[in-house]
Amino acid sequence: MLSGEWNKRWTGIAVYLLGAAVLIYLSYRLPALLPGDFVTAMFASSHVTLTAEQDAQLRAWYSQRPDFGQYLLGLLRLDWGYSFAFLTPVSRLILEALPWTLLLAGSAHALSMALGFWAGVEAAWRRGGRAEKAAVGLMTVLEGLPEIATGVALLLVFALHAGWFPASGAQTVYARLSLWSWMLDVLHHLALPLATLVLAYLPGNFLLTRASMVMVLGEPFVQTARAKGLPPLRVRYGHAARNALLPMVTRFGLRIAFMVTGALVVETIHSYPGLGTLLFNAIAKRDLPLIQGIVLFSSLMVLAVNVALDRVYGYIDPRVAHAR
Amino acid sequence: MRKTLMAIWLVLALSVPAAAQISEIRIADTTGDWGYPNAFRHYPRGPGYVRMSWVFDTLVWKDENGYVPGLARTWSFYPKILAFAFELHPKAKWHDGRAVTADDVVFTISYFKKHPYGWISLDHVDRAEAKGPHQVVIRLTKPYAPFISDVGGTMPILPRHIWEKVDQPQAFDAPEAFIGSGPYRFKDFNKAQGTYLYEAFADHHLGRPRAERLIYVRSGKPLVSLATGEVDLANIQPEMAEPLRQKGMAIIQDERGWVKKLMINHKKPPFDDRRFRQALAHALNRQEIIDRSQRGFGTPASYGLLSLDHEMYNPDTPVYAHDPEKARALIAGLGYTKGADGILQREGRPLKVELLSSHITVGGQSVADRDGEVIKKQLEAVGLVVDLVNLEQATTDSKVKNWGFDLAVSGHGGISGDARILNEMISSQFGAGSVNSARYDANLELARLLDAQIPEMDVVKRKLLVQRIQVFHAEDLPAIPLYHPQSMAAYNPQKGIQWFFTRGGISKGVPIPQNKMALLR
Repeated sequence: MLSGEWNKRWTGIAVYLLGAAVLIYLSYRLPALLPGDFVTAMFASSHVTLTAEQDAQLRAWYSQRPDFGQYLLGLLRLDWGYSFAFLTPVSRLILEALPWTLLLAGSAHALSMALGFWAGVEAAWRRGGRAEKAAVGLMTVLEGLPEIATGVALLLVFALHAGWFPASGAQTVYARLSLWSWMLDVLHHLALPLATLVLAYLPGNFLLTRASMVMVLGEPFVQTARAKGLPPLRVRYGHAARNALLPMVTRFGLRIAFMVTGALVVETIHSYPGLGTLLFNAIAKRDLPLIQGIVLFSSLMVLAVNVALDRVYGYIDPRVAHAR
Repeated sequence: MRKTLMAIWLVLALSVPAAAQISEIRIADTTGDWGYPNAFRHYPRGPGYVRMSWVFDTLVWKDENGYVPGLARTWSFYPKILAFAFELHPKAKWHDGRAVTADDVVFTISYFKKHPYGWISLDHVDRAEAKGPHQVVIRLTKPYAPFISDVGGTMPILPRHIWEKVDQPQAFDAPEAFIGSGPYRFKDFNKAQGTYLYEAFADHHLGRPRAERLIYVRSGKPLVSLATGEVDLANIQPEMAEPLRQKGMAIIQDERGWVKKLMINHKKPPFDDRRFRQALAHALNRQEIIDRSQRGFGTPASYGLLSLDHEMYNPDTPVYAHDPEKARALIAGLGYTKGADGILQREGRPLKVELLSSHITVGGQSVADRDGEVIKKQLEAVGLVVDLVNLEQATTDSKVKNWGFDLAVSGHGGISGDARILNEMISSQFGAGSVNSARYDANLELARLLDAQIPEMDVVKRKLLVQRIQVFHAEDLPAIPLYHPQSMAAYNPQKGIQWFFTRGGISKGVPIPQNKMALLR
């Protein structure tokens, strides 16, 4: 019995390791298939008109790339390569941009999940009422709006016309501020991109929670809880909502996993200095080592979140742990 | 009475304020990252050069009227000995306090010969000699007409005492790598934020810069950043000029120094026949492209490629009126006939072309336009089948570079700078590595004229050569110049700085209004 559990555990680890190997290979291989190259992107439209000889020399220099074995060995030594454009280690660039993405996308996910969950539970509880119908209608419309449209609209209204929020960046750069003022400044800059992302994520969370909750509310155990005379709040959250939480956790995990690509559009609109902006600029310049680094980081994050979700499911729903 | 007048004069004289010192100026940039500001680490496009120009001075510089002193107070050409002589400003200093001397200029020339700087060509320079602490003579191996533009006005002078110990300049990133003699010291480049910080160099030989700090801010929407007061200077779309003027902003407009053009793959039939290229020119209605794609904000370009504002522009350059009938007739002369469906065909095959379109505009920025759609419609009106392919810039560039295209909408600047741009944008000898260069060598007389204009030191004779080149370009049409988009910038005049666009563009033709002279007045 014990050896059976060990086998299962090792099989699980082997599957994840195989997944990681495939992702590393793809991150090495796919960016190199992009049409265009660094020398063309950097020099072709510049004021430096290269002669044929200079062009060939540069091309030869920048086309030197490690084979997959060397690339893998480098990763194991925590050497993620060197950016062509920035002349800086890729890992340092990722670490500089990561906190801003975490702040923006992390808080957007947390906020939209909390709000969406609460609103979804309340809407399902009041199913058929006027408020619920209005909320479902509004959220369905919002769900159909692309982030780029919401982002630009918020920018025009609250930055250009009202002048309440800054249009770009994550802080007033090189401002001489105290720690407290700097934090306020960061929040001030965060407001518009955060609102855009929350408006993008909230409807999905709301609709998913509401749908799960509607199903759970029809279950016999909820009827039992009600029949026992438990307070409505306890029935709603202690019994029903807890069981409607699982799909939300899955969604939250997947969204977090796709944090880099998910925030790319909003980061670009607001010139927010996160991983999305870094990736966007790296692709425009065909900075291959940097693209590979961000793609790899992003894919490993998907894998890590999957591992984490696997663990979390067991805690939230003991039936999952039992079924393993 | 006399005493009273004297007293009044004194009071008035003392009460006239000196140019007020500004704490900081913020400039918006959509890209943000342009590399580190020295010769070996800045990106090769214009904004990268401008980032460096705050820190490193050149021998001469340009303002809105033309060349002005930089590190050199005076300069002159001596044809008999084929040399340029420069007298350096005696008060010029490096940021570490040492004096700038003729030795630094001599060293810079020899250093760039050993470690080439892509923005300049020293092929025509023999050597430099110090003739005194502040006198330097640069001798040429052969005459080189673009010398002042290409070397005098573009080559950053390096401090010998720092760079003489550096063997690998690209890898040199110590703080000393950014010690120059320019009006600003480089303080920071934040790669993640795409921001730059410079601080005024109080001992600059042309005086203390007007703003204490100069800051570049990355902004996806420069116009909004300007309107909200986050920045003081930004490039704008022309239709926003009036609303911004009403908000109290000052608006400036550049000369016509950037051209949108239709690249043609003249290496493959039928594009290799100049009659076909001329037919394309007749098929295009450039004013309609401007009206529909640029909302009217532009001017049709000269078919000779050089800017209409250039002092060597040839007003007698051939023109191609929009004439679909003539276009059809020219194509019919190549053996194409009109099918029942109105499509031109030869040997049963329709005349089908692929048109690549990206959205490049002034300064290498990307702004959505409808050039591709309008051109497609105009070419289809004469009977071509046009497959319009919209691609992002790097992919388009790559296809053009490798001749994997039929037609491509592209563009470049530099056409109001030195006429050497014609060589770079026409000949493969000069422009092999550029995607904007037609790389056209089929016309031997045109190639000869291009070669001849470079060593011609007599301005009048050179102008005649350059004007003939324009005629040849217009006749052969290795690429079709389309239009000059209106290029504008807006700034906050309350800061007391009068920004301007540089005559012929900064250095070799950078169409950006961030000229350091604006902060030295």
